[in-house]
Amino acid sequence: MSFERDLTALLPRLRRFAHALARDAADADDLTQVAVERALVARASFTAGTRMDSWMYRIMRNAWIDTARMRRRAAQTFVAEEAGAEVGDAGDRAIEARVELDRVGRAMATLPDEQREAVALVLVEGLAYKEAAAVLDIPMGTLTSRLVRGRAALMTKLGEAA
Amino acid sequence: MTIDRETLMAYADGECDPLTTRRVERAIAADPALAAEVEAQRALRARIGAAFAPIAAAPVPPRIAELAASNVVTFPARPKRRFPAGWAGAAAASLVLGLLIGRGIAPGGPIEAGPDGLVARGTLARALDTQPGSDGAASGVRMLASFRAADGGYCRVFAGSATSGIACRDGDAWTLRRTASGRAEGGAYRQAGSADAGLMAAAQDMMAGQPLDGAGEAAAIRQGWR
Repeated sequence: MSFERDLTALLPRLRRFAHALARDAADADDLTQVAVERALVARASFTAGTRMDSWMYRIMRNAWIDTARMRRRAAQTFVAEEAGAEVGDAGDRAIEARVELDRVGRAMATLPDEQREAVALVLVEGLAYKEAAAVLDIPMGTLTSRLVRGRAALMTKLGEAA
Repeated sequence: MTIDRETLMAYADGECDPLTTRRVERAIAADPALAAEVEAQRALRARIGAAFAPIAAAPVPPRIAELAASNVVTFPARPKRRFPAGWAGAAAASLVLGLLIGRGIAPGGPIEAGPDGLVARGTLARALDTQPGSDGAASGVRMLASFRAADGGYCRVFAGSATSGIACRDGDAWTLRRTASGRAEGGAYRQAGSADAGLMAAAQDMMAGQPLDGAGEAAAIRQGWR
């Protein structure tokens, strides 16, 4: 059962990637669920001994693209209602962390998809350029150019907000 | 000597080869603006990484953790005719189906793609039609439970060596509402494993009242599950 065990161990990182792609916390968890469903169905296509994280990032990223047209949820709130309700009870540092995530999430949401996914893989998930380019199935030069533009836009947005 | 933005960013991320690294370092030493840009890139990277870190540290929602551990995949019933309640469900319906077809669910096999989803065929369809739960795995598949769903139709939970799932009677056919792969890694047959438990839990949610007892099941088989 090492497939399920490895998949379970990856879930926290997959959720983080989903939150970096999606503008909405509920969308992010829906996306995580869809990616896990796809992975279970496609498990026969996973080659044991290869990197499951890259395989899962690719599945999730494709699921995100495939479902883009079905998304109807508006982008007004990044923090879900449920999550917002907890803010009152959380400590100061937890509140600060939530506000920061909201701020960064909003800035990420303004990026074009192709820049956001590059930023999510490299800056959020910590993949090397080569690994991120392989997940996105694009040449290195394309990855770095998207990354440069995405980062420049984020710096402007977050500079304004800070 | 000019350093383009891509190279400077790659240097800030530690992605340059040793030769380029030396070239960038010389340029930085000569130009404080370049040094400031490298610092800004590193600060942004640290900030983005830190902002999303709490998500990876937070507990995974139970529905996702259970799904990953159970190996059970859901098919929304009749995706074609039902307005999707959320994009996750609609996506799962079309994509999961596509993947299954791609994986080799072909005409002539135990499962085929019909207009409303996956449909049982051949030995699996015959077992669903006629095999009581008390029959063991004579046909290569065990019937774990039979029940009436909330819409009044009959459904059966089955477990086979290749595929397990929940099939519901839909006219003359059995439509698969859920499926899980039945074979453990290495090809060993899985006896009442976590997938079966996941299916039984799913069946519990679909069930109107109690599962059929032996007599109820025998009567349903006689009447062709109508």
